[in-house]
Amino acid sequence: MNFFVKFWGTRGSIPTPGSLTQVFGGNTPCIELRVDDALFVCDGGSGLRELGLDLLRRGKSPVVAHMFFSHAHWDHIQGFPFFVPAFLKDSSLIIYGTSPGDTKFHKLLSGQMESDYFPVAFGDLGARVAPDDLGQAGKRIAGVEVRAIAQLHHGPSYGYSFEKDGRKVVYATDNELDLELENAAEVAADPDLLRHAPRRYVEFCQGARLLIADGQYTDAEYANKRTWGHPRATTCVDLAIQAGVEQLAITHHDPLQSDDKVREKIEACRARAQRLGGKVQVFGAREGMELKID
Amino acid sequence: MGKGMAKKSRTGEGPAKGLEEDITDPTHEDEFTEDLPTCESNVGVLFRERERRPAFLEMLEGPGAPCVYMLERVEMVVGRGAEADIQVDSTEVSRRHMRIGRAGTSHQIQDLESRNGVLLNGVRIHSASLHEGDTLQLGNAVFVYHEGQR
Repeated sequence: MNFFVKFWGTRGSIPTPGSLTQVFGGNTPCIELRVDDALFVCDGGSGLRELGLDLLRRGKSPVVAHMFFSHAHWDHIQGFPFFVPAFLKDSSLIIYGTSPGDTKFHKLLSGQMESDYFPVAFGDLGARVAPDDLGQAGKRIAGVEVRAIAQLHHGPSYGYSFEKDGRKVVYATDNELDLELENAAEVAADPDLLRHAPRRYVEFCQGARLLIADGQYTDAEYANKRTWGHPRATTCVDLAIQAGVEQLAITHHDPLQSDDKVREKIEACRARAQRLGGKVQVFGAREGMELKID
Repeated sequence: MGKGMAKKSRTGEGPAKGLEEDITDPTHEDEFTEDLPTCESNVGVLFRERERRPAFLEMLEGPGAPCVYMLERVEMVVGRGAEADIQVDSTEVSRRHMRIGRAGTSHQIQDLESRNGVLLNGVRIHSASLHEGDTLQLGNAVFVYHEGQR
């Protein structure tokens, strides 16, 4: 079984191209998962455009993509109208909702292509773009168990897990973990204490080979961004430790963070993991990085 | 040295002169987040300058280190085998371990199903784009990627 994960967009909020963001990248969220011949796409930020072009370069036709969206804020859907496979008549794009009959994301993708916003109508796309859903407790898609979890964000947002033959990857972005800590009072008094994430998040991420998590803010930044929908990157470390995750990819980097700032943020996460005795390997997700999940 | 191998040269003179000023200027970092009205633009004015700049791998550890391999071809293979462009005489390195090729203004690497993998800044990757100062570890061989003349 081949299981690959590739980062096409790792920036939060708004595309941030430029000389200060070359390393970690300026495209908004998009993650590609390939499990054997099946293609799963998480989020459709501006990175989705690059993924679309790359799919054509690979020459695999037709494109069949199972697409999942954390939520429909601009930075997570703005790449869809520029996803070239959507314009090709042989392509098939399946847009998943998170509960039975849920077609919300399909409708919202369609809405952002109304004529006030975009010149090409959703109905004029060449591809078959169809809604589907994950049912009550997840769905087996091309041999991969896919599950969703509701998260704390303005909306809300959803995290997703993809698992096959014991190899599990979780994509969990735009989740303000810090507002749901079970020992909030204690960690407010002592920031070095392990921050207890809600049990349901820990169980959802349990045993993942890779957790891709929203770590938009440094501890210092979070002080002024509380309730904006994103956590401290260091809190993701605590979740990863509690869930026994092997690797933690911090993503959704703040648009104000230069590459050097992201590096500092990741170093702070590594220091925290070490201080807490965690074995998780922490790194900053960067555009173009591809991992093989063994 | 096998046929077609990369030019290898001893190093020890320290970092290539002029690299730092071509990439992010660390002196404006604080302005970027702490003084927004006057911060420097993040618009990619450097991309044209970086286009087709030479690049090299500086080998810091491993058989034959320290030495430098210029990345002169569009695509090169690092490995233990005689046919490798950059040959590393170590049993911890696979015969064809990693491909490195020019991709736009940078270089792209890909693990060629090697036994010990390719670590990019300590993380095992399958493929990635490289940036100035990235560290690559293949078995017991450690390289640093540099852009510009050495």
